[in-house]
Amino acid sequence: MWAIYRKELKSYFLSPIGYIVIGIFLFVFSVFFYLTTVATGNVDLGALYYYAALYGLMIIVPILTMRMFAEERKTGTEQLILTSPVSMTGVVMGKLLAAITVVCITLVISLGYFLIVNYFGSPNIAVVLVSILGYILISAAALSIGMFASSITENQIIAGVITIAFLIMSLFMQDLNSVFSNLAIMNFYQDFPSGVISLSEIVGLVSFTGMFTAFTIIIMQRRKLVK
Amino acid sequence: MIQVENITKKYGSFTAVNNINFEIEEGEIVGFLGPNGAGKSTTMNMITGFIEPTNGKVIVDGYDMSKKPKKAKKQIGYMPEGVPLYGDLTVKEFVTYMAEIKGVDKKEKKEKVAKVLEQIGLTDVQNKLTKNLSRGYKQRVSMAGALVGDPKVIILDEPTVGLDPKQVTEIRALIKELGKTHTVILSSHILSEVSQICNRVIIINKGEIVAIDTPENLEKKVVKENSIHVTVEDPENKMETIKEKLENVQEVKFISENEDKTKEYIITAEKDTDLRKNIFEIFAKEGITIFEMKKTDATLEDAFMQLIEGSKKDEGGKE
Repeated sequence: MWAIYRKELKSYFLSPIGYIVIGIFLFVFSVFFYLTTVATGNVDLGALYYYAALYGLMIIVPILTMRMFAEERKTGTEQLILTSPVSMTGVVMGKLLAAITVVCITLVISLGYFLIVNYFGSPNIAVVLVSILGYILISAAALSIGMFASSITENQIIAGVITIAFLIMSLFMQDLNSVFSNLAIMNFYQDFPSGVISLSEIVGLVSFTGMFTAFTIIIMQRRKLVK
Repeated sequence: MIQVENITKKYGSFTAVNNINFEIEEGEIVGFLGPNGAGKSTTMNMITGFIEPTNGKVIVDGYDMSKKPKKAKKQIGYMPEGVPLYGDLTVKEFVTYMAEIKGVDKKEKKEKVAKVLEQIGLTDVQNKLTKNLSRGYKQRVSMAGALVGDPKVIILDEPTVGLDPKQVTEIRALIKELGKTHTVILSSHILSEVSQICNRVIIINKGEIVAIDTPENLEKKVVKENSIHVTVEDPENKMETIKEKLENVQEVKFISENEDKTKEYIITAEKDTDLRKNIFEIFAKEGITIFEMKKTDATLEDAFMQLIEGSKKDEGGKE
């Protein structure tokens, strides 16, 4: 698993993808830093992370996940992985963790905004840390959806579009029916930004991630039979 | 080393591989031969565990591929068709990655990667990105990926496709070298290649095994007769009646007349009779001048064509 993780992480930064993702992320952060903090004179950084999750993930997640399995399938490199003695769970987890790591790198950089605010006022560090914890969990959930989309097609564009469509639709679906509101991942990022660690949100996001990771593993294992 | 028991692969109603059985001993170099779409790659993919057979099982070094995939896969180094590589990794990074996913011990990793790079002749390009390499080098990198970690079995899917003649010779020499220490399975539709490199040939057509034998035996099986190709000058047209004067001859067949008025014939005799001496003496008596005379050997190519044609006819008969 760690071999896959290292290689995936390296690939993000050998190609421009890693840098583009971090760049876009910081741009989104900066826009909302201005809107939620600078323009309003507010020292509460929770709103910054909330909006960066709401809009940022929609752009970032497909970029990080669309090539995960689709590219391997298209170029045939999946044959190398699937014929080597690594378990499918290891492959899927390695890839997911590598993508989460890229998000974490951005989050570390986002602490810079805390330092800026800290210079002018006294923001609550606990709120920021809880927001970041929640952010990691919600990105894991969104990334697992993207990864699943990438595992069902060999076309990266289709994988990306499915991911964006899911993330955008989850914003409206909850108005349609209360059942669908459980599929809206932003519903599980309401308490974190205000500095509250809510068990229901943690369970929600972790099980969401677990479900789509399991789906991906099942899809990839089934490939052996149907290919 | 490898036992393939009754494997079948079906895609819907289409049967790609139908009930194949064979066994490969340790240290053998075995060639899969067959026309395109015969099921060579499908069979190899099932042996490597990339796809699961619909029926039957594959046993590698005592481990059942579907029950103990990790252990079985560890014995195999696989170079897939079309040499898939990660373009953004360098040669060394790629081979190191392959070593890692094959579970090579951390301490031995560096040494083993260096050894393989040396063996395949990639040391000079080890820091180049694989996407910038020429086709021949890509093939080698893919082969290095299969070799790293010293698997007991090496499976190469069409290892010489798309290479120039010099590279083909090099790769063949390399495969022969590997055969001394590993069990090698390769697929090809180039017959001369298989007969040069392999100890045993498995001919597949339409998903079924048509023949398993050594290249020599396959040739023998097909060579039912013995024929001699002659180029003669025959001003008195005595060739027309020559058949009666030669013993054991089945047929004297006219092929063509050349610009210099010489004529070419193929003389066929029964198996195990050498006509050459006879022809020489009798032709001289008759006043026919021989310009050229050579034995035409049936090659593996003929064997292959006959077997493939044969299996097609059988099928036609059933319908």
